[in-house]
Amino acid sequence: MPKAPAPFASMKKGFDYGQAVAEAQRCLLCHDAPCSKGCPGGTDPATFIRKLRFQNLTGAVRTIKQNNILGGSCGELCPTPQLCEKECSAAGLDRPIQIGKIQRFLVEHAWATGFNPLEKGSARKEKIAVVGSGPAGLSCAAELAKAGFGVTVFEARARAGGVLRYGVPSYRFSPDFIDRELKDLAPLGVKIQCSKPIRGKGAVESLLKKGFAAVFLAPGCWEPLRLKVKAKVRQGVFAWTDFLTPLKEGRFAAIGKQLKGRRVAIIGGGSVAMDCAESAIKLGAKDVYLVYRRSYNEMPAEEDEKQDALRQGMHLLLLNQPVDYSTDAKGRLKAIRLVRTELSKPDASGRRKPVEIPGSNWELPIDVAIEAIGAQPARDSIEWSRSMKLSDGNLITVNPDTGETSVKRVFAGGDIVRGPALIIEAVRDGKTAAQAIMKRFAKKENAHE
Amino acid sequence: MSKQADLSVEFLGFKMKNPFMLSSSPVSNSAEMVGRAFDAGWGGVAYKTVVSDRIPIIHPSPRMAAYRPAGKRQLGVQNVEQTSDRGLKANLLDIMYLKKRWPDHLVMASIMGFSNQEWADLAKACVDAGADMLEVNVSCPHMTVEGSGAKVGQCQELVQKFTETVRNSCKIPIVAKMTPNITDITVPAMYAKKGGADGIAAINSVAGLSGIGADDWVPSPNVFGKGAACGFTGPAIKPIGLRCISELAKCHDLQLPLSGIGGIETWVDALEYLLVGATTIQVTTGIIHYGQGIVENMIEGLSDYMTIKGVKSLKELIGKALPNVHATHDFDLARQGIARYDLDRCVGCGQCYVVCRDAGGWALDWDAKKRRPALDEKKCLSCMVCSFACPVDGLITFKEMPKSYRRAETVTLGKELETQRRS
Repeated sequence: MPKAPAPFASMKKGFDYGQAVAEAQRCLLCHDAPCSKGCPGGTDPATFIRKLRFQNLTGAVRTIKQNNILGGSCGELCPTPQLCEKECSAAGLDRPIQIGKIQRFLVEHAWATGFNPLEKGSARKEKIAVVGSGPAGLSCAAELAKAGFGVTVFEARARAGGVLRYGVPSYRFSPDFIDRELKDLAPLGVKIQCSKPIRGKGAVESLLKKGFAAVFLAPGCWEPLRLKVKAKVRQGVFAWTDFLTPLKEGRFAAIGKQLKGRRVAIIGGGSVAMDCAESAIKLGAKDVYLVYRRSYNEMPAEEDEKQDALRQGMHLLLLNQPVDYSTDAKGRLKAIRLVRTELSKPDASGRRKPVEIPGSNWELPIDVAIEAIGAQPARDSIEWSRSMKLSDGNLITVNPDTGETSVKRVFAGGDIVRGPALIIEAVRDGKTAAQAIMKRFAKKENAHE
Repeated sequence: MSKQADLSVEFLGFKMKNPFMLSSSPVSNSAEMVGRAFDAGWGGVAYKTVVSDRIPIIHPSPRMAAYRPAGKRQLGVQNVEQTSDRGLKANLLDIMYLKKRWPDHLVMASIMGFSNQEWADLAKACVDAGADMLEVNVSCPHMTVEGSGAKVGQCQELVQKFTETVRNSCKIPIVAKMTPNITDITVPAMYAKKGGADGIAAINSVAGLSGIGADDWVPSPNVFGKGAACGFTGPAIKPIGLRCISELAKCHDLQLPLSGIGGIETWVDALEYLLVGATTIQVTTGIIHYGQGIVENMIEGLSDYMTIKGVKSLKELIGKALPNVHATHDFDLARQGIARYDLDRCVGCGQCYVVCRDAGGWALDWDAKKRRPALDEKKCLSCMVCSFACPVDGLITFKEMPKSYRRAETVTLGKELETQRRS
C-alpha cells in the first residue's frame, strides 16, 4: 500500500504515562460511578481509572479489553463527550475526566509492554460463522472465541476492520492502530478470511448447511444514500464511499488529482461529511463548501469534528437544500443548484424541519460534489436469506435482547440492524448476539446430560 | 492471562489466602467493618487495640486532620486516634463472631494493658474469644493515658516485661508492634524477642506535627485550641516504614517474621514491603483515603506481577531485595554517570535549568531563543534534581560514563582573595 501523504499520516498522539496518571488523579473515584452507566457498550471507566490510580495497569487493561476488544479504537473514536464523559461528576467541579484518552493510553500501554489479557476458552465443538469484520463482527467473534467456540469471520474486503479500516480517514485513525488492536485477537484463534464476501441467494442458509452452528451477520451499511436529482452528471459527483474508501486503500494520487485546486461541495452534516470535507481540504481542494439543509446545531456531527473541519478552512453553507446539479455540454459538473431553507417545527428526529423558501433558488459553481447523506445495506442484501424479516430500508429485524433474526440460529447486529450508528453500539450488538449464542448452546449441552 | 496467582502466605503458622490485613486502627474497629473487609478480599485483620474497662478511653475531638502541603491531597493523616473506646465485652464478642464466621481469615487481636496484670488479663480474654494471635501494642505515639503506648515502646525493659507477661499468659503467637519514634528500631524488637515475641509488626505512626494554623497558631488536629505531636501516617511515611522493615529483616539476631505497615495503598507498595522482608502487609490510611476496595487492586496487581515474572509463591519474593540494601560505604565510587537528555521531547519549560543552577552543578546552559537546555557533561553532578523538575516522563535519565570520564571541579570565585591575602 502506498504511503499516505503527510496530511493524512498523522493520527493525534495519545496520552503518555505521566499525562494519563495526572488525568486519572483528577478522577473523584465516585461511589456508584455515573460514568460507568453512560456507555451503551458497558464500558466501566470507574473501574479502569481506579485501577490506574492504584498502579494496577494490567488490571485496568483487563477491565477494558474483557468488555470491549476494540477498547483502544473506541477510546479514540467514541463521542465520549456525549457518553461516559457526559456523566462525569468532575464536571461539577471543573470539567470531565478525559476518559476516552485514558482508555486509549491504557490499551497502548499494554501494547508497549506486551500485555494481553485475552485468552481462548476451552474448546467446544460448535463452529460459528461471522459475516463482516467490523466492530460488531469482531466483538461477537472474540466473545465466542473466549468461550471456546471455533469462529470464522468472512470479510468481503481485502483486509479486516470494516468501518475502522475503510470508513475513518487515516489522519483521524491510523491503519497501524487497527492492525495493532486486531493483533490482540491472535490468542483467541479467530479465523478471519478476507476477500470472502458472503453474497448471493440463500447465502446465509448455506452457511448453516455447511455446518456452522450459528451465523452472525454484521456486514454493515456500505451502500451510500444518493441525492435524487434530474441532471445526468458524467463526471464530478462522488458518493462518500467512492471517496473515503479509496483513500483508505491508499489511492491518494487518483483521488487527489480530481480535487486539487477545485471547488468542492460536500453534502451532508454528519461525521462522514466532516471527514469528507477535511479530506478534500487535505487533498488540496481550493474551496470546500459544506452544504447542509438545517442549521449548525442540527448537524449530527460531533462538535469537535465540526470545529476541526472549520479550522481546516471548510466553508459552512447552512440552511441550503441541494435540489439538482448542472453540467456542461459534456456532462461535467458545473454547479450545484440550491434552495434556501428556513427551520420550522421539530420533525420525527426531534430537530427542526427545514422548509424550502420559494423563489430562493440559486447556483453555487463547483467542480466536484461529494454526497455524504447516509448509508444503507447493500442492494442485494435482501437475497442473502430466503425468509429473513427485514424492516424499512432493508435493515434486518432482530430481537433486541438477543440479536436473533427471524431465521433460527441466525443473528445480526451493527449497522445492518440499526443503520449507521456508533462503533460502541455495534460492539454491544456483537456481544449481545454472542451471549445469546452461548446461552443457546449451553442449554443444548445441558439437555444432553 | 486471567488466572489469579497464588498469593497465599503463612504467617506464624497461620495460612492466609493473601498477605493483606487491616491494621489495628479505626478501619478494624468492629466486626461489622472487618467482616465487610474480609468479603472484599482482605486476608486478615489486626483487630483494633482492645483495653480493659478500668480506664475509659475518650477520644479527643476532632480525631484527625489531613496533611495537605500546598493543597496536595491524600499524602498523609495526622491523628490522635486512641485504642478502642468500645467496651471489652463488645470487642471480645466481635472477635468471637469474626472467627466463627470467617475461620480462614487471620484475626490478630491487638491489646494494650495499662498495668502488668492487664496485659495478662487481656491476652487470656482474647485467646478465649478465639483470636489466632496477639499484637502487643507498645507503640501508639499519642495515648491520652499517661505512660502507655509508645512510652512503653521507647523503654526496652518494659517492652520485654510486658511481652513476657503476655507470653506467660497464653500459647498463641505474639507479634510486638514497634514505634519508629526511636533511634534504632531493632533494639526494642530484640527486647520483644527476649520477652517471647514470635513476630514483629512495624511501623506504628510517626510522631509529627503536620500543620500549624496560620491564624490561630494551633497544630492540627485542633482540639479546641490545643494541638499535640501525634501520629502521622500515610504515603508520606512509607520510606520510613520500608527502612525500618529492612533493618529488622537484616538484623542478624532477630530473625522473626515481620508484618509491614506504613503508607501502603497499592500492590507496588505492598511488593516493596515484601521485598525488604515483610511477610504480611497492614493498611489503614489507604482505607481512610479510598475505602476497603483498594484491596482488589492489590490482589489483581500483585497477582499479575507474579504471573508476568513467573513467581509461583509469594514466599519467593519475601526479602528478595535485602541483598541489594547496603550500607552507603559499600558503594562503588569508581563508577560515575551523568544525566542524559532526550531533547526531542522537551517542551521548553526551563525547570531543569532553574534547579540545576540553584541546586545542582550549574551544568546547564539555556538557549533562550530555542528554549532548550544544553548540558555540559563535565559539570553534571548526576544529582538528578533536573529529572525531578522535568514535567516530561523519562526525558531525563541517568547514564553511566566511561572510566575515563572526569568531572570538572566547581568554579571557585574567591581565587583572587587568596593572592590578595598573600600580598
